[in-house]
Amino acid sequence: MPKIRVRVDEDLCIGAASCVTIAPETFQLNEDNKAWVLDHGEEPGGSTYERWLEVTEDEKENILLGAQSCPTLAIFIYEEDGTQIFPEM
Amino acid sequence: MRYVIVGGGVAGTTAAEELRKLDPESEITLICEEQHPLYSRVLLGVYVQGKVPRERTFLKKESWYEEKKIEWLRGVHVDALDTQNKFVALSDGRELSYDKLLISSGKEVRTVEYDQRGVMYFRTIDDADHIIQLLAEQGKDACGGIYGGGFIACEFLNIYEAHNIRTVLTFRGEHFWNSNLLPEAGELLLNHFRSKGVDVIAHAELKGLVGDKELEGFVTEQGEHPCTMLGIGVGILSDFSWLEEAGVKIGVGVKADKFLQTSVADVYVAGDISEFEDVYVGREMNVGTWLNAIMQGRVVAKNMTGEPTVFELVSSYAMNVLGIDIIFVGDVAKSEADDVHLVGSVRSGGVTQVFERGGRVVGGVMINRNTDRKVITDAVKSGMPVSDVLNKINT
Repeated sequence: MPKIRVRVDEDLCIGAASCVTIAPETFQLNEDNKAWVLDHGEEPGGSTYERWLEVTEDEKENILLGAQSCPTLAIFIYEEDGTQIFPEM
Repeated sequence: MRYVIVGGGVAGTTAAEELRKLDPESEITLICEEQHPLYSRVLLGVYVQGKVPRERTFLKKESWYEEKKIEWLRGVHVDALDTQNKFVALSDGRELSYDKLLISSGKEVRTVEYDQRGVMYFRTIDDADHIIQLLAEQGKDACGGIYGGGFIACEFLNIYEAHNIRTVLTFRGEHFWNSNLLPEAGELLLNHFRSKGVDVIAHAELKGLVGDKELEGFVTEQGEHPCTMLGIGVGILSDFSWLEEAGVKIGVGVKADKFLQTSVADVYVAGDISEFEDVYVGREMNVGTWLNAIMQGRVVAKNMTGEPTVFELVSSYAMNVLGIDIIFVGDVAKSEADDVHLVGSVRSGGVTQVFERGGRVVGGVMINRNTDRKVITDAVKSGMPVSDVLNKINT
């Protein structure tokens, strides 16, 4: 299964909730109205804005859709080798 | 199959992208009044505050349209629609036939009758560029006026704060969002604005401007207010005339069912211009949010390709204004609610309003009570009893 790194830029996140609507297993809003990154609905190691995820191709596609839907482009996604796949450079 | 999309904002562009995925061989034409590729209106405020560069606001590159084989017509609009012969007439004289048509042309700013250099609106990236130009011209005596009591007024509050500009805020009603907020919520917000040094003036209908060549101030029922720039946020509107002439049913938006199909065969609608059957709140809604536009764009594409999909979303809008968080969820019209419950208080610094209709929760407004958002969103979806919701957010 592909391994990706998902990061939310907390300064850019405004709580628009599009990622939460599209990929609720990966993103949930916190009390600051910003999106934590979750691992399949769980938070191993505690709440965080950035984590490695092991996902299926379908899950990866959906997380990408969540990132693409963000109106402030606050979600960054990286491949295992560190290449940024979203936003496209 | 030939798809024609009228309007290249986030609803129309998302629909085009989704249509290309679902129907790779189809012809797709996207008709855009603006010259720019898709950009984020939500980021424009941050751009004007100087926190992100202009290029960051663009969500698509110019080359994207060609890569996706989407015919991108810029700087044109639709003048007429013929639903019998299934074509649209463009402002450049061309006629385009369609098999399926999507209306996603959004809304435009409502303007006031007075104009002068220094008067600003805030809807498009061109407006944002204009504001940046004016900001650059301000001297040390700069003073920013605002006329309006909604989200655009909030954008101007943040912009002036970011540029250290003294601010005078005027609006017509008792407080902000008079059709949504209870007096306590209104008071909480205005107290917060005052605590940040904003001069707040309610019950102030705009009566005119002061200054010949340069703006020197504006006049309301409450007197004359000196300012060097004036941000106006008095709402948005749509031009429905070409749709009405074509026999498309119009209310406050283009009427649609829960599949975003209009009253006319093969004509669909998405985004700010739609007035759709909202399955969660149980009435027709017209919603002008990013989330609504993007999700409708995705769903409408499925319906246009013959995959019946109900549009299901608890819509929301969130904004931080001068350090205070404001969140609207679902249906927040006071006039449509049987009851609006208040949780929290001005003294505690946070207020939540829970909107009830027909025994269920249909919406909520949260000011500095972000954690209530999930409870209310879930309740609107699930139909949880109002008393349970109130218990949950009170604890």
